[in-house]
Amino acid sequence: MSATILTPPATPRRVRRGPSADMLRLLMVLALILAIIVVGAVVTDRFMRPENFANVFEQATDLALVALGQSLTVLTGGIDLSVGSMISLLSVLTSGLIDGNSAMVLPVCLGILAGGTLLGVLNGCGVVWLRVHPLIVTLGMGAILQGVALLYTRAPIGSIPDGFDSLAYGRVAGISVGGAATALIFVLVAAFLRYTNTGRTIYAVGDDSQAARLLGMPVRRVILLVYGASGFFAAVTAIYLVSRFGSGQPYAGADYTLASVTPVVVGGIALSGGRGSIFGTLLGAYLLAILNDLLNFLHVPTQIQLVAEGLIIMAAVSIHVERGRRS
Amino acid sequence: MKSTRLVLCSILLCGTTPVAALAEGYQGAPRTELFNPALTSCIRDTSAFKKAGPYVIGFSNAGLGDSWRVVALDELKQGAQDHKDVIKKLIITDAGHDDAKQVSDVQDLVSQGVDLLIVSANTEKALDPVVTRAMKRGVPVIMLDRRISSDHFVTYINASDPEMGRLWAQWIVEKLHGKGNVVMLGGQAGSSPNENRMNPALEIFKQYPGIHILDTVYSDWSPVKAKQVMQAVIAKYGHSINAVWSAHGLQVPGSIEAFVEAGFKPGEIPMHTTADINGALQMAIKYKVPMLEVGDPPSQYRLAISVALKVLAGTPLPCVVTVNSQIAVTPGDETASIRGDLPITDLVVPNGAPDMLITNDLGPNYSPSTAHIDYPH
Repeated sequence: MSATILTPPATPRRVRRGPSADMLRLLMVLALILAIIVVGAVVTDRFMRPENFANVFEQATDLALVALGQSLTVLTGGIDLSVGSMISLLSVLTSGLIDGNSAMVLPVCLGILAGGTLLGVLNGCGVVWLRVHPLIVTLGMGAILQGVALLYTRAPIGSIPDGFDSLAYGRVAGISVGGAATALIFVLVAAFLRYTNTGRTIYAVGDDSQAARLLGMPVRRVILLVYGASGFFAAVTAIYLVSRFGSGQPYAGADYTLASVTPVVVGGIALSGGRGSIFGTLLGAYLLAILNDLLNFLHVPTQIQLVAEGLIIMAAVSIHVERGRRS
Repeated sequence: MKSTRLVLCSILLCGTTPVAALAEGYQGAPRTELFNPALTSCIRDTSAFKKAGPYVIGFSNAGLGDSWRVVALDELKQGAQDHKDVIKKLIITDAGHDDAKQVSDVQDLVSQGVDLLIVSANTEKALDPVVTRAMKRGVPVIMLDRRISSDHFVTYINASDPEMGRLWAQWIVEKLHGKGNVVMLGGQAGSSPNENRMNPALEIFKQYPGIHILDTVYSDWSPVKAKQVMQAVIAKYGHSINAVWSAHGLQVPGSIEAFVEAGFKPGEIPMHTTADINGALQMAIKYKVPMLEVGDPPSQYRLAISVALKVLAGTPLPCVVTVNSQIAVTPGDETASIRGDLPITDLVVPNGAPDMLITNDLGPNYSPSTAHIDYPH
């Protein structure tokens, strides 16, 4: 960091109150997860089997990954509505370019990660230099990327070599490899946010970008970083989905655009930015996965599953909003 | 034909009451099996899956995205009800046409300890890894109407998709005398019924250099989307379109509507292929559209339960179980290769609902909007 740029305070005023408020939000999501587990345990003995929890841990992976990138943009007060289309495009490119050839796996995956990051940085450039609201910039980018995906292919394309699917389905000692790797990534990103100046600047920009700018913080650089990170995690999600589905599909990511926001808000990150913890996002993804699992065990029709999911989101968010007002 | 006439009389007597499953043409053994040129058939040994009942059967549905699938699910419930003495529970999950959810659904059904899993795969590649893993764990999986791309399952029940695709294509070729422009109106890209009808059809078209594929568009089996995509196609190619190869009947009414709204007079609308949907046949007659119907009967869902019980009894089974496709053509439009089992004018239910499936077997009073099928769950 340049000497002329003031270092942000280690714990900005409003963030100082943050940890306890954040902790309460996390506890609330945890309480909801525990409530679901209790209901599951009462209703059916098979729900409590370790294998079922291992499934849920694995099933939360894709949403957790894409929501991690989304969390970072939301923490700066922005949003990335291009992630769904980006996942679609990058997933068809991943399987289309690998096309069953194991020698292509590493170069293609590295290229996809770089490509996703670059597309994300382009989003960031739009936000910084065009001074257009992130919602508009990323919505436009999303439309372009979906179009490109459909130009590339209108049907599922390519295939993966044997063994590539263990990224999604692999288990070590009964624990999902992809799920464990995702949890580890969350820990690393959380440490980055807490212990580096750049990480703390992300919160400061979301809290009050004008103040951050006046304090000389590298606001533009931080915005490029978060959108780049969102693109990077969309690329990771795309590769993960190709591993889970065995091929890329031109609409593979369509549902993830808005779905990626759900764990973010359920986990307690304020849409206005500057407040919340990414562990809330991880717990939010686990909450949605275990809810889906419980409703399957209860044999609840999908239509009612959607209603239940909507109610949980509204309940969780209204509690967070209420707490936010009090603090 | 006698039974057909009787049924038609009953339609007239019923007036405007919608009735289904009426006309009967070919009632014999599956033609795909009889006409199979291979010297031997693939038969699956299921003795490893033999176990004592009563059974818990899981069904992972791709979704209920169109009226065909609503009727088909009722057929499955009826199948379970037919055998409620040996079926303790039929657990149904619905993925809402979301691959990610269906993969999770299959995992959840396996961890609920089902004795057998029936899967109708949203897309054939995406469900392949998870179904393959379920089979590896010893859970027998039956694919129903939508398969996975590999053959890691016990058996696949369907109305022969390649047969439908080829018959439609051959009919178009012969009607056009080998020369003309064809629009491919698909269903859901990547779903096995779409791919396994469209690819064999394209193989036929390729053999005729005079046949040009103008465009390939997808309707997601929806008449509304079909109308939108066909409006764009008609705006681009207009009267140079000579035939519309459609992968099912669900999207055909939307396509014909698009032609009508573009100013095509009755008799000018190019030939269409179709399956099952009453509305498509009604429009063929109303607007004088040459049409070939090759049925995809939803009764295959009812059959799936009997097949599941055979697997659990250890009975050997064909690797692919087909149900018959009814073949019907508009009068005067038969060709050298395509002879109808009955004319479309006999198959149509003139006063029936347009979204009625003329090929269901749930009885004359069945209506998907009012039916409540009881089943063990």
